[in-house]
Amino acid sequence: MIEIRGLYKNYITAQGSLTALSNINLNIKEGEIYGIIGPSGAGKSTMIRTLNLLEVPDRGSIMINGEEITALNKKELRERRKKIGMIFQHFNLLSSRTVRGNISFPMEIAGVPDAEREEKVEKLMELVGLSDRADHYPSELSGGQKQRVGIARALSNDPEILLSDEATSSLDPESTDSILKLLKKIRDELNLTIVLITHEMDVIKKVCDRVAVMEEGQIVEEGKVIDIFVNPQQPVTRRFIKTVIDYNLPEGLNITQKGRLVRVSFKGESTHKPLISLLIKKYNIDANILYGKIDEIQGIPFGTLILDLEGSDESIDEALEFIGQLGLAVEVLTDEQSNSI
Amino acid sequence: MNNLTQYSELIWNGTLETLYMVGVSLFFAVIIGLPLGILIVITRKDHIAPCQFIYRILDTIINIGRSIPFIILMVAIIPFTRKLVGSSIGTTAAIVPLAVAAIPFVGRVVESAMLEISPGVIEAARSMGATPLQIIMKVLLPEALPGLILGITLTAINLIGYSAMAGAIGGGGLGDIAIRYGYQRFRVTVMIATVVVLVLLVDIIQWIGNKIAAYYDHR
Ligand SMILES: Nc1ncnc2c1ncn2[C@@H]1O[C@H](COP(=O)(O)OP(=O)(O)OP(=O)(O)O)[C@@H](O)[C@H]1O
Ligand SMILES: [Mg+2]
Repeated sequence: MIEIRGLYKNYITAQGSLTALSNINLNIKEGEIYGIIGPSGAGKSTMIRTLNLLEVPDRGSIMINGEEITALNKKELRERRKKIGMIFQHFNLLSSRTVRGNISFPMEIAGVPDAEREEKVEKLMELVGLSDRADHYPSELSGGQKQRVGIARALSNDPEILLSDEATSSLDPESTDSILKLLKKIRDELNLTIVLITHEMDVIKKVCDRVAVMEEGQIVEEGKVIDIFVNPQQPVTRRFIKTVIDYNLPEGLNITQKGRLVRVSFKGESTHKPLISLLIKKYNIDANILYGKIDEIQGIPFGTLILDLEGSDESIDEALEFIGQLGLAVEVLTDEQSNSI
Repeated sequence: MNNLTQYSELIWNGTLETLYMVGVSLFFAVIIGLPLGILIVITRKDHIAPCQFIYRILDTIINIGRSIPFIILMVAIIPFTRKLVGSSIGTTAAIVPLAVAAIPFVGRVVESAMLEISPGVIEAARSMGATPLQIIMKVLLPEALPGLILGITLTAINLIGYSAMAGAIGGGGLGDIAIRYGYQRFRVTVMIATVVVLVLLVDIIQWIGNKIAAYYDHR
């Protein structure tokens, strides 16, 4: 659906050249919700804005449905943009138009006939649950309602792709959840491909199928959301995961570490295997559970255990290998990490 | 008693002349100043049709236009006025310098009203595939409308002030009456009456402008 190859973008600023994107490669499949997360200034907005060429990359290729969009002329690009909806953190609605007028706006631009437009507006207002607010102005709506208008507006020309730049970042948790549910619903009903940018791991956890983690203009990690949660590779990714899954032990608890401290993460079926008893029986080691938590990501159970393994070095090594073979992610915690868990 | 009717007719005619001068010059100032203002907005860098060259030229013209004192401008463009309306004195002739003086003012007023629109809204329109013309007609103008109305109101009020100087080229109007009767002939009553009418006029225009702007303002 969307194929990005070797994308680069520099900004020339008063302080010199700034690399906003550096060798970005991504494949986004049709019908998936693809998340991009990263700290502030990582280049997320720059990245998503290249997908409709609001930002023109210096180098690289962006193919949408096999069409190289960086090669389009102005007119072709405008036509292309009509099939790419976009929603924004600050909604960017026209204050001079009502809900109805705002949703109608992209269709006016595309030259859709009046009757067809009106019908579509009614349908979209129903889809996002705002039919009773049709003649209200944006200033009379809550943040969540404004974003619903934004979504309806973005859908009005039947796009194939919806781009979302921090669409929930100015909303309270409740509105955030309802907007995320709405995004999921429209993906399911309209088979839309959604690319969403966020700096909240919770958003990724709740709606995304796959995620890319960005840092300093680069994608440092990428994969299925559940896999990233179970087995994060990069420190920045771990930091983000920590914001939604709290590994911290209660302060009053005094751990006296005796053996080797490991974190075991597991997902899906493997949650049902009797791990601890196997370890004890097969390898003759002691496994103390210091911490355990089971969570779920979009219906898939997923858990974390922090174990203190006691036994001979070889048997612990063998045991760790065995855990790996079971399809569980193991990570031996360094002293530093064990202090911070 | 006779004096009173005579003077009230004088003031009534003066009011009509002032309204005529201000109305017509405002009309032309907006017709030319509005596109000028739009052009200087959209040619800014990062706007919808960036062009440093045009922006610089327009910016300079507007600055020069606004820094010339009206009385000097009026005299300086007499040949142009004569060419345009066939005469350089009279009420109609006064309209030309008034309009010319108001054009750069309207340009700036339009510019500042349009710069208040959040760049995000313009970007949203771009993301939908809107052409620059569509953005001007469907985003810039309607979103800036309340600001434009207040700006035009301000221009009208300034023009009333300028039109007082139009007496210098036989333009007539309230200001002219105030100077001729009040200052030169010491008819204090006439002067006070004129000033009262001017104050009322300014107040009414401001009130109407505020009302219309508020009607269109949904921010
Ligand atoms: N128009 C611009 N001119 C110069 N530098 C820019 C411009 N836009 C972005 N940048 C810089 O590029 C880098 C990436 O910015 P970007 O907005 O893509 O980050 P982000 O990941 O979206 O951050 P945030 O989470 O704060 O929105 C930043 O260092 C930013 O300062
Ligand atoms: Mg951003």
